[in-house]
Amino acid sequence: MTAEPVIDIRQLTKRYGEFTALNSLTLQVPAGHVLGLIGPNGAGKTTAIRILAGLLRPTSGTATIAGADCVKQARDIKRLIGYMPDRFGSYDNMRVHEYLDFFGAAFGIPRRQRITRIEEVMETAGIVYMRDKFVESLSHGMAQRVGIARTLLHDPRVIILDEPANGLDPQARIEMRELILKLARLGKTVLVTSHILPELARICDTVAIMTHGCLRAFGTVDQIGHQISQRRTMEAQLLSVDRISLAAEIIRKGIETDAEVIEAPAEAIVRFRTAVSEETLGQLLSELVRNQIPVTQFRELQTDLEEAFMTFANAAPTGDGKATAAGVKHG
Amino acid sequence: MANPIIQRELVGMLRERRTFAAFALLSLAFSMTILVRWPTEPRMALSGSRSMEVFRLFMLGLLVALHLLLPVFPATSLVRERNRGTLALLLNTPLGLWKIYSGKLLAVFGLAALMLFISLPGAAACYALGGVSLGEGLGGCYLILALTSLELCALSLLVSSSASTTDGAIRWAYGLILALGLVTLLPHALFVGSGGTTELVADWLRSLSPIAAILPYVGANDIAARGTASTGTVSVRFMFLSIVITVISSVWTMYRLRYSIFDKSRSSGTMVDDQSLQIRTMRRLFFLIDPGRRSRSMSWLVNPVMVKEFRCRKFGRLHWLLRLVAACAVIALGLAILTTTRMVAWDVGTIGGILVILQVTLLVLITPSLAAGLICAERESGGWVMLQMTPMSVARIIWGKLLSVFLTLALVLCATLPGYLVIIFIEPGLRAQIERVVWCLVATAGFATLSTAAIGSLFRQTAMAIATAYGFLIAVCTLPLLVWIGRDAPFGHQTVETALLVNPIAATLSVIRFPGFRDYDLIPGHWWLIGIVSTASLILLIAQTIRLSRPQ
Repeated sequence: MTAEPVIDIRQLTKRYGEFTALNSLTLQVPAGHVLGLIGPNGAGKTTAIRILAGLLRPTSGTATIAGADCVKQARDIKRLIGYMPDRFGSYDNMRVHEYLDFFGAAFGIPRRQRITRIEEVMETAGIVYMRDKFVESLSHGMAQRVGIARTLLHDPRVIILDEPANGLDPQARIEMRELILKLARLGKTVLVTSHILPELARICDTVAIMTHGCLRAFGTVDQIGHQISQRRTMEAQLLSVDRISLAAEIIRKGIETDAEVIEAPAEAIVRFRTAVSEETLGQLLSELVRNQIPVTQFRELQTDLEEAFMTFANAAPTGDGKATAAGVKHG
Repeated sequence: MANPIIQRELVGMLRERRTFAAFALLSLAFSMTILVRWPTEPRMALSGSRSMEVFRLFMLGLLVALHLLLPVFPATSLVRERNRGTLALLLNTPLGLWKIYSGKLLAVFGLAALMLFISLPGAAACYALGGVSLGEGLGGCYLILALTSLELCALSLLVSSSASTTDGAIRWAYGLILALGLVTLLPHALFVGSGGTTELVADWLRSLSPIAAILPYVGANDIAARGTASTGTVSVRFMFLSIVITVISSVWTMYRLRYSIFDKSRSSGTMVDDQSLQIRTMRRLFFLIDPGRRSRSMSWLVNPVMVKEFRCRKFGRLHWLLRLVAACAVIALGLAILTTTRMVAWDVGTIGGILVILQVTLLVLITPSLAAGLICAERESGGWVMLQMTPMSVARIIWGKLLSVFLTLALVLCATLPGYLVIIFIEPGLRAQIERVVWCLVATAGFATLSTAAIGSLFRQTAMAIATAYGFLIAVCTLPLLVWIGRDAPFGHQTVETALLVNPIAATLSVIRFPGFRDYDLIPGHWWLIGIVSTASLILLIAQTIRLSRPQ
């Protein structure tokens, strides 16, 4: 990435007493990029986002958005970002256009301009048809769209979406994905967190994987996949489940001692992650056949974001946040 | 315990900090009452009048405490379960409706019983002083209190079964209970001696009030000196009516406790603008300001937070406010007409006093529900974060929110002004007094708004904030009146006057020269006092809002 970073986070740390919620997070996101922030619950994603939004004060480190410091220039930050929390309030008895009108007025958008702007953001979010509906009567997916329309009202440079696809049905998830891509096409820098990893893989230019408050990997999905594929995932499909334990035992002996070997009796499959050579794998297959284990398939699985996530999520925390931070770091 | 709900509910409530705080406050108040009025002279009054004075204060205090502390528990019980989804789980168990309902009712009643139980040492002390009979005095009072508790629990559970939010349930429960306790006394006060069906109905209506029922047992048959003395008949009628109300409320609540309780669909918002001309015309006739019309974009002149507050309140929209204002105007004018027709029996000051009582009651009922949730409702719903993300300053947010309450209260107060105008027209000499009354009411509205808003800002849950705000405001309005009930005996003039200084009702009644309050000089002391409290509340509100809006 060569463009000037819009989001610039350096050594960002947040501690609550003895507990470290965020540990020396460093990353940069260029303008117009979609960054996916993924990690298990308690990984520090929301903490990082809330610091960027000026809602939390970091213990140390700096975070800037378009050059504005998230702590010292919190007022400027409010105009630079559109933030949609994972749970945002929907005021009772307010219709969608009244809801947007209120936030438009709160951002000081003049009346005439506001009327046009509300129409524009409703068009972008695809919610024109629900302008007269009460916000609290909307389904979760519709409400999320209204939330996104709200974040767009003041035309911010950066959109921060905390778990926008959480709790959505598949149809709504696809629509949300399309909407985020539309925002990216509008030139917005989007920071999005999600647990729905395939969704992120499709929309994000860059992905950051976090666990235990530390950045574990940062880069494109391909770069991360390449980085973890030093150990590839292999799968041995057996004809029946009868000899699965023996097959797993043979595989364990044939590969690295610390390698993970998983038996899946329901599918009659043994999965393992290894960095051994092709030759060793050939010997391993021969050994299985020699022991009269009926192997129907012996193949390598493609690494995807889910795989990468699981790899890093299962890794033990190192404490300093840097030792395991993998992949391509920017800045 | 045979019923698992009793165990869960009662133990759950006893584990809560608010229960501990309520019990601690209650036992402290009981101890103080006894300590303050315990005879210090070497000789005791043989007539037992001294012990009866203490006993009267003690029992009325207990009754007020029950009204203040108890309703919040049953009022939130069912609605909270429904909103959390645990009511559906409960209805899915083999426990029958009766077991579920009785479990909830008896659990809250158990709490009330505990309240009554901790008051026993105080009551025993009064009995030991002599003059208070065991059966007629103690027994009668505790029977009334027990029946009142049961009735409060059953009514609050009924409210809880039909409310959609916990704060709404609290609002309605307190409103209903206040109406049952106080408003039912008014018709009798108005129509006493008129004879015929009207007086009979008013008399029966008065029998709904536990206050009227307990008076004969505490030796205070006529607290307002209006010839509206309670007799034993009122107490017997109350016992009968409270049982009937409890049974009806219970059956009604059980009827509502079915799967249909979850079938509450929300209107998605039909627009009148999109309907036929005929419908639009018809609605125009019924609504001066049609809530179904597409609202216009906010003007730059108005505070957006204020408009938002009006729009997102169910009863905040203009058509509801206009209805409220119209109702107030009708009541005020009705009372003014009474002034002209009943001048022989009552003086203008008395009618003005009734107007004042109604207005302050309205303020007490409306204000906490409007003001206490101003900040905490935003925090609870997640709206605060969104407000924080806007460039609006804390001052603008607070001003917008307070303005939405002030304007509502101002409208309500303005609606009652025609009544005062009629009084001035009848007796021009009262003009100066009426002006002072209006200032008193304005000060009361300001005090009620600022104090309850400040209290509410300290809480995270709207329901708790509203309950505490109601408790505070009702305590400010009723506790000094308990001291006033004991005027001259056991309390002296100075003590009563000092106690009444904090009471907005008493201050306004003293200005209008209402019987019983004429002798107290409460203005401007009262204005100074509530001015200081209001300022302190505003400072607290601003400080708390600044704290909340800062990055954590």
